[in-house]
Amino acid sequence: MKAYYNVHTVWLVMMLLTLSTYVLGELGEGGFVVVVFILGTAMLKGSFIIRDFMELKGVSMLWKVLMYGWLWTICITITVTYIVSA
Amino acid sequence: MELLVFGIFFIIYAVMRLQNTEMFNHYQMTLNREIGFANTLLLIVSSYFVIRAVHAIKLNKVRNSINCLYAALGAGAGFLILKTWEYAEKFAEGISLTTNSFYMFYLSLTIFHLLHVVLGMVILFAVAIKAQRGCYNAKNYIGVETGASYWHMVDLVWIVLFPLVYIIR
Repeated sequence: MKAYYNVHTVWLVMMLLTLSTYVLGELGEGGFVVVVFILGTAMLKGSFIIRDFMELKGVSMLWKVLMYGWLWTICITITVTYIVSA
Repeated sequence: MELLVFGIFFIIYAVMRLQNTEMFNHYQMTLNREIGFANTLLLIVSSYFVIRAVHAIKLNKVRNSINCLYAALGAGAGFLILKTWEYAEKFAEGISLTTNSFYMFYLSLTIFHLLHVVLGMVILFAVAIKAQRGCYNAKNYIGVETGASYWHMVDLVWIVLFPLVYIIR
């Protein structure tokens, strides 16, 4: 029952984080803080998907490294390129 | 494998943007962010129903699991409809893969992702049909979990693609 409740919560948080990303996009703001916030939000949502939707909580370390490694490598690399271009 | 390909695509996009920042920022503003936002919500909703389907089958609530799978497919269908609308707008404006670098990335990334959405929907539909035929229960649910994992992977890719192509500048 606890896990079921957590899925509801995770879903609601992800919807709200998506709304915050869209609002920032509509405001047309750029710059270091906004880029870090939006990509940080994407990393958080991606982590929720990996941990709570794919349920990788109990699997081997290799799978966790592959999935979280993919997400973090992509988001951090994109953040660096955007900061360089600012 | 798919994640690796998308990851390489994303990094190439970011590096190409470094060389044409103003052009990428300008044409990014022409995209329909409302549709991108709605499609993100639809994929999150569909993933929510998919994980509920997995939880339900583990509790042997087969009917509930099937209903959740069809709800997820409904959200996926909504994604396809909105994406078709978005492409129709762009194609009506004469935009194609050769218009410029930004649109080349926008179209190839989103169409490649769309193909994965379609494949994911085919997999979820097949899982739902098998569940209706009584193939899954609390002791045998690996097929539901496997289909769910593929769908969550499709959602994960979009979670990065949406801010990258539609929002950050």
